[in-house]
Amino acid sequence: MTDVICPLCGKPNPPDLDECMYCQAPLKTGGFIAPPESESELSSSPSTSNKPGEAEQKAPEPSASSDLEQSIPDWLKQTEADFLDLSEVKPEEPSPAELSGQFDSLLSPPSTPPSSKENAIDDDWLASLLDEAGVGKPEPPSLQEQAPEEALKEPEPEPGSEMYEEGANLAVEGSTEEEQLSPTQPAEKPDWLKNLEASSTIKLEGDLFSGEPEPIEPAVNEIPEEKAQDQTPLPDWIAKTGSIEPPPSPQEPAESPIAPAELPNWLEALRPTETVSPSAPVEDLSGADIVTAGPLVGLRGVISAHPSAIRPQKPPTYSIKLRVTDEQQARVEMMKELLANEEKPTPLASRPIITSRNIFRLIVAVVLLLPMVWMIISGSQQASTPQPGNIPGVVDFTQQIQKLPSGAPVLMAFDYEAGFSGELNIAVTNVLIQLMNKSAYLTLVATTPTGPALAESLIKNASSSLVGTSGAYSNYADLGYVPGGTMGLLGLAKSPRSILPYSLESDNVWEGAPLNAIASIKDFSAVIVLTNDPDTARIWIEQAGPLLQEAGTPLLMVTSSQAEPLIRPYFEAKPAQVQGLIAGLAGGLAYGRTVGNLQQNGIWDAFSVGVTVSFLIILIGSIAGVVSKMLAASKKEN
Amino acid sequence: MLEQINQLADPIGAIIGFLLTIMVLSYIIGDNALFRLAIHIFIGVASGYAAALILYNVVLFQVLVPVIQMFSTGKTDGLVTYAFRVLPAVILGIWMLTKASPRLARWGTPVLAFLTGVGAATVVAGAVRGTLFPQVGASMNLLNIHTAPAELNNLVGWFINGLVILVGTITTLIYFQFGIKSQEEGAPVQRSVFMEYISTVGQGFIVITLGVLFTGVYIAALTALIDRIRFLWDTLHIF
Repeated sequence: MTDVICPLCGKPNPPDLDECMYCQAPLKTGGFIAPPESESELSSSPSTSNKPGEAEQKAPEPSASSDLEQSIPDWLKQTEADFLDLSEVKPEEPSPAELSGQFDSLLSPPSTPPSSKENAIDDDWLASLLDEAGVGKPEPPSLQEQAPEEALKEPEPEPGSEMYEEGANLAVEGSTEEEQLSPTQPAEKPDWLKNLEASSTIKLEGDLFSGEPEPIEPAVNEIPEEKAQDQTPLPDWIAKTGSIEPPPSPQEPAESPIAPAELPNWLEALRPTETVSPSAPVEDLSGADIVTAGPLVGLRGVISAHPSAIRPQKPPTYSIKLRVTDEQQARVEMMKELLANEEKPTPLASRPIITSRNIFRLIVAVVLLLPMVWMIISGSQQASTPQPGNIPGVVDFTQQIQKLPSGAPVLMAFDYEAGFSGELNIAVTNVLIQLMNKSAYLTLVATTPTGPALAESLIKNASSSLVGTSGAYSNYADLGYVPGGTMGLLGLAKSPRSILPYSLESDNVWEGAPLNAIASIKDFSAVIVLTNDPDTARIWIEQAGPLLQEAGTPLLMVTSSQAEPLIRPYFEAKPAQVQGLIAGLAGGLAYGRTVGNLQQNGIWDAFSVGVTVSFLIILIGSIAGVVSKMLAASKKEN
Repeated sequence: MLEQINQLADPIGAIIGFLLTIMVLSYIIGDNALFRLAIHIFIGVASGYAAALILYNVVLFQVLVPVIQMFSTGKTDGLVTYAFRVLPAVILGIWMLTKASPRLARWGTPVLAFLTGVGAATVVAGAVRGTLFPQVGASMNLLNIHTAPAELNNLVGWFINGLVILVGTITTLIYFQFGIKSQEEGAPVQRSVFMEYISTVGQGFIVITLGVLFTGVYIAALTALIDRIRFLWDTLHIF
């Protein structure tokens, strides 16, 4: 089954068609008949590529398809003749890229699958056409003419190399086959091709269709030297490559012009001995395939890459210069400057002590401090202390303390910081004195680290203030610090015996009276929390409050002025969650009045003056600020 | 010797307190080295005191002393119970120390997760039980006629007080109502004029509340200043 090659588009068509199925060109009046399929397969088989010389000898013989020559129309012959003339006159006119592509198609590797039938036919047809035209292989440009970049993109295989040999074999083979099938006489070969053949190491002799392929080495060794000398002068690069002598055989060791170097001892020790005297068995690669393309061409036992995937070309060059605009460059410089400034240690600016701001601050301090200092120095007690009935919670607190039976166990939590001792100590001291007068058993705990020390100090001061007693008050147990925050407090409320088993004096106070009857916090007669923090007060209310409310145990609080607004709702709620409240200095003094302690040592007068002066400073400052803003606004409007 | 030290402790403490008070009050003229030195001393002393307190009060008296007491008195009956109660805390506490090492920090995460979960549950349960429900109930009973005083004068004050608290609670809650449904696509979202007026009233209550809180803080600071002035005068008067 033969296909008819379209003379116009060159594509194969079935023989029963009159017109090309691709371009509708007439097929019967001209065109080429593709070689038989068996022949094309044979031609593409690697076995035929080893006998190029035989193909050359058989090329002049008339083929079976020579009758088609008569059927070629005159216009096609004329076109072909013109094409041949142009090819002979200007062999370098076709672009190297096109010719290289055509040549690559002719040099299709033997591994090309025969299934690509149409491509093979196209290549054969094109090879024959190019061979007849004498441009099957373009004349290699001289080194002076060839651009360096193109030389790098399409490196020509060196004569003598296996790649070159195979390429030449395929080219000659292709041309031989086409000459057999072509109805026309083979065109005269151009000079460059003759020279190339003469310089080639391939001997174009032998039978084309011999069965067993012969190795390439014998063909290389059979280069007749006189044949190469008879040729016309070769280009420099061909002459250089053609003069390359075949590699010396293993039986004839070549003389090494370079004396072997003497390795230093340390380098000799580092040299791997495996490379010198390999101990591992050498793998037999004689049966492996030969790589026909790519940089590993001619090697055995390696993975062959697809020819189309390996196209040696010059790697693209990328400019390392950034294209930045002036604005971007300015930003970069700004960022560099900022980073540089960040790395520099900058000394702190020495601020002058005497400034308008500091002077104003000093004036305010003097105005505020002087009246208070004077009140304290003079011990003034001009201002009347607050009445218990005017301070919410004080009367209730007093009543709850008075309800306590003698010797009742009272839990006191010292949960305030030492900085608030000036505000709370008056109230706490009065409460302690009242409890000591009732001989209450004080159980001291603290959820702040400074609490235990404050408790000991206040107990000591309060006991020294007791009238009619000698010695320190000892009816108390200091259980110390309760760790764990909210969870510790919940544990203390549910099981104080487990949380604080021993006092700070290593006494198991829970075994003796009255704490032996205490199982939970609700068993105390009263719980008094002394705190300056509203959150601490809230935690006590939330964790211990429900238990205390169940048993009717009063929860009393002595708090700072800053915590009072947040604790007051718990006191004023109905039912009350806090049964008594003493807040701030005013609450402490009011409670002191209830227990008969009227000493204030000028503190209340200083406090009253301080509050008044503060109020005046804030008022004057606010008015001055408003006036200055109004003046500034009016100036702006004008 | 110990008695002499105790007798000298108060005077020495008074002198140290006097100097530190002066150093802190020097902030009146601005930030200076004396003030910073006093701050550093306070931070260091507080940290050291807290560490000593934990070792003395928690590790010694809550973990070791009970065991020593049991063996010294021969009452080892409660040893197993005590071990079951204390050993988990001790193990978790030692386990928590892995957080001190960056390499072993992740091993302490379960303990931290346990503490966080239990702490959150404790706080939430306490807040619901101790604050939320009781305060909501108290607000509902503000104008309960059964709790009204019998006297007419007290009745007016009771009614005004309850009304103010009720209005303040409602308007403050309305002020924090930010979820408004959009009527039209792309139209600006805005509350109704009535709601805007109510939220303005609530905003006024919030301002008054914050002012009261600030006043409490200022009064507490002023009281502490007066206490320090009196301490300085007493110290000078003594010496």
